Amino acid sequence: MILTPLLLAPLALSATAPRVDLFAIRAPRVEVGNGETLHHAVILIEGGKIVTIGEDLPIERGIPVLELDEEQVVIPGLVDAYSRYGMSSRGYSDSRPYLLASAELPEKGNGFKQLREIGVTTLGIYPPGSGIPGQAVAVRTQGMSPEELILRDSCYLKIIAGANRSAKARISDGFKKADSWEEKEKKNREKWEKAKEKFDKEKDAEKKKKLDPGPYKPIEPDRNAEAFRQLRAGTLKALISISTAADYLHLLDAIGDEEFQWDLRVGLTRNTDVFHVIDRIGEAGKRVIMEPELTLHPGTRRQRNLPAEFARAGAKLVLVPRGDSTQAFKDWRRNVGEIVAAGLDFQTALSAMTLEGARLLGVDDQVGSLESGKAANLIILDGEPFEATTKVVAVILDGDLVYGEVDL
Amino acid sequence: MRTLIRTKATLFLVLAALTLGVLPVAHAGDDEPKEKAAEEESSEPEEPQDKWFAVVDGDVYTGTGAVLRGATVLCKNGVIEDIGYDLWMPEETETLDARGYRVYPGLVAINSSGLFGAGSDLPNTFNPFGQNLVLALGSGITTALTGNEVGKLKYGTLEGVQVKTNVFRYLSFSKSSPAGKRSLREKLAKAAKYRRAYAQYEIDKKKNKDLKEPSKKNVDSNLVSLLDGKWRPVFRANERTDLLEIAHLAQQYGFRPIIQGCREGWTVADELGRAGASAIITPRDRRPKSEQLVREGGSSIENAAILYRAGVSVAIIPGNVGISLGGIVGRDLMHLTVEAAFAVRGGLSDEAALAGLTIEPARLMGIDHRVGSLEVGKDADMIITDGDILHYKTFVQWTVIDGEIVYDKEAHLYFAHIRPRPDSSLAPEQRLDAGENPPEEAAAAEGGDEEESEEASEPKEGGGGQG
Repeated sequence: MILTPLLLAPLALSATAPRVDLFAIRAPRVEVGNGETLHHAVILIEGGKIVTIGEDLPIERGIPVLELDEEQVVIPGLVDAYSRYGMSSRGYSDSRPYLLASAELPEKGNGFKQLREIGVTTLGIYPPGSGIPGQAVAVRTQGMSPEELILRDSCYLKIIAGANRSAKARISDGFKKADSWEEKEKKNREKWEKAKEKFDKEKDAEKKKKLDPGPYKPIEPDRNAEAFRQLRAGTLKALISISTAADYLHLLDAIGDEEFQWDLRVGLTRNTDVFHVIDRIGEAGKRVIMEPELTLHPGTRRQRNLPAEFARAGAKLVLVPRGDSTQAFKDWRRNVGEIVAAGLDFQTALSAMTLEGARLLGVDDQVGSLESGKAANLIILDGEPFEATTKVVAVILDGDLVYGEVDL
Repeated sequence: MRTLIRTKATLFLVLAALTLGVLPVAHAGDDEPKEKAAEEESSEPEEPQDKWFAVVDGDVYTGTGAVLRGATVLCKNGVIEDIGYDLWMPEETETLDARGYRVYPGLVAINSSGLFGAGSDLPNTFNPFGQNLVLALGSGITTALTGNEVGKLKYGTLEGVQVKTNVFRYLSFSKSSPAGKRSLREKLAKAAKYRRAYAQYEIDKKKNKDLKEPSKKNVDSNLVSLLDGKWRPVFRANERTDLLEIAHLAQQYGFRPIIQGCREGWTVADELGRAGASAIITPRDRRPKSEQLVREGGSSIENAAILYRAGVSVAIIPGNVGISLGGIVGRDLMHLTVEAAFAVRGGLSDEAALAGLTIEPARLMGIDHRVGSLEVGKDADMIITDGDILHYKTFVQWTVIDGEIVYDKEAHLYFAHIRPRPDSSLAPEQRLDAGENPPEEAAAAEGGDEEESEEASEPKEGGGGQG
């Protein structure tokens, strides 16, 4: 390992300090995010990435080490896969699958400072509007330009489903458009192939010149059909939003035999009846994105912990803040804590705030858990992660200390 | 109450035996080939397995007049396969023990609102989990008209919800619109003339092949098909004069009107009967007669009975066709049977009242080949009640649609605690409040305050609907 002389002496690391390229963290407890807990763990970070992580690893002499206190806990940086933080929620209400949320990113700088302080290191921004409003983007919460911000574009195509003819038709129409485009393309191809065949057979050089069809030119792509072609090809997935149990059945009806990858967004309202289809959704192994919220069984005062019920039924859980305000982000960890106190498994809850969100966005190869090769996005907490009194000590994003002050 | 499917039962036995570690070798040897054979049998044909369901040992009120005490209704794939005694049943038949209960055809609501969700375009808007849907199922309704579509109250699935679209066609013939009356008369006359001309043309065509078809100009083809007997028009009419004129018009042109409302029908019942009319009535409808008139008029509790006696078939619907959780209880679709009971109070027979809730509305909507009575070949839509369907005290215990239990009184919060089933956890011995007072205190409280406790245990008609 290469060590610069500068790093040989212990130094104070603060948010404004110059970047330290290689350092280690020795933590009494690390929650990896994938269900594992490490004790007496060492995390070696170089160039913004986790090089190694494990229990009781030796640290080479000279590498600056951040020694954590006994009660401190390290968890992965939080991933909110479904947000419109600081952005307008006005959008179209029809089908525009080609719109990209990434186009809305500010040209200069960003206002994610408060999110970084809370420990949110990755944000999935969805396109606004109803109908089929477009495709989401995954961003880091630090960066001065869209290029620096974007982790991955076209993470998912957002679709709002419903129990009505037009919402159902939007889905089937999308695939129909893809069909008709492919039909046209096929005809175009056949036409060219015929011409080519004719050209190949012709022996007379003079005539042959006239018949040359040139290289194959595909027809213009149809921007409305493209996203649905990608869905079918598996290069894009969908996040489909439902609010009632009936919506889910109508969604299945609208999808029919069409095969593509899709996750579910379930907005939890106080009297939601979505529990009727929890078993069916769980059996299908769907990823479900919802708020950490206790709801009431309709017509009663009986509380239900739907996130926990979904998780128990076999669904993969993604928990996101209850709103897009900074306060909602601040309350996020506490809100999840309430759901945990009401019966949700600790590790499921933690991964619902980190790794599952990254999986939803398709950036789980880069962020979401504390594993070697992934970005060094982590939060140092001063106690139990879901305890209401627990505070953030420091936040590290891509190896940079973006919040807090610690001695290295 | 339901018996387990056989394969499950065997599996359970085998598992139980395994856990106990006492599985005899010979026994295992006996079982395995059977299991294998069964597997092979089921895997050979690719078709999905038949689904068998039976309601056994109930008193079956078929809705056709027959009552079969302690009989079994056997259903295969959602259709009634057989009704009777000592029926052959495949082993895997799922059964519902209805001993001591009555089995009726599912009720048919000839109008409704808010049971299905948005209400129209059922395949695209149906909400199979709605509260109103469950309450309607709990009231015994299995089929209902909404908008101008008939749907089944399928719980938890979208499949098979739509039964028929474009059910009713309305005509207007009322003294409030003389122009409309004149216009309908003229159109009917033209349609009749056209039909005569066409009939003549059919005869003459044989002699002269070049003959032209009679002109259809200004002829309402709808009314031609009406006169052909293809459909029955619905008139909204309540007053005697309107009813009489409709009856005369119908007799003149030879069609059979369906009259919705028909409040003063009892005053002209014979005329309506002779015209072959049917009536959709609300027995509890109350309206005094117009005071200027000397003749009889206004509403009568005997309306249904008098009409029925005169040969008018009667379908019954409450004044409020929704599920109402506000206002005075007992007047909405949850109390369809109570509405019919008022017709019985006015002299209608029990059988006719049941028909007014089942087969008559099914006939009027043209779906009587599928629902409305318990007959072999019809849809397995039925309700299992703890008493006479027309009695206010009676609860629907189970509702079955297409051979599947879609409602169980015990499984929902609404009525489970009111007169619970004997085998229920809520049954009297285990009252919820039993633990609140130690036995001595409870006894003392009961002795000292007898009136109050009696009042508390008195069943209240439909009160559960408010909860």
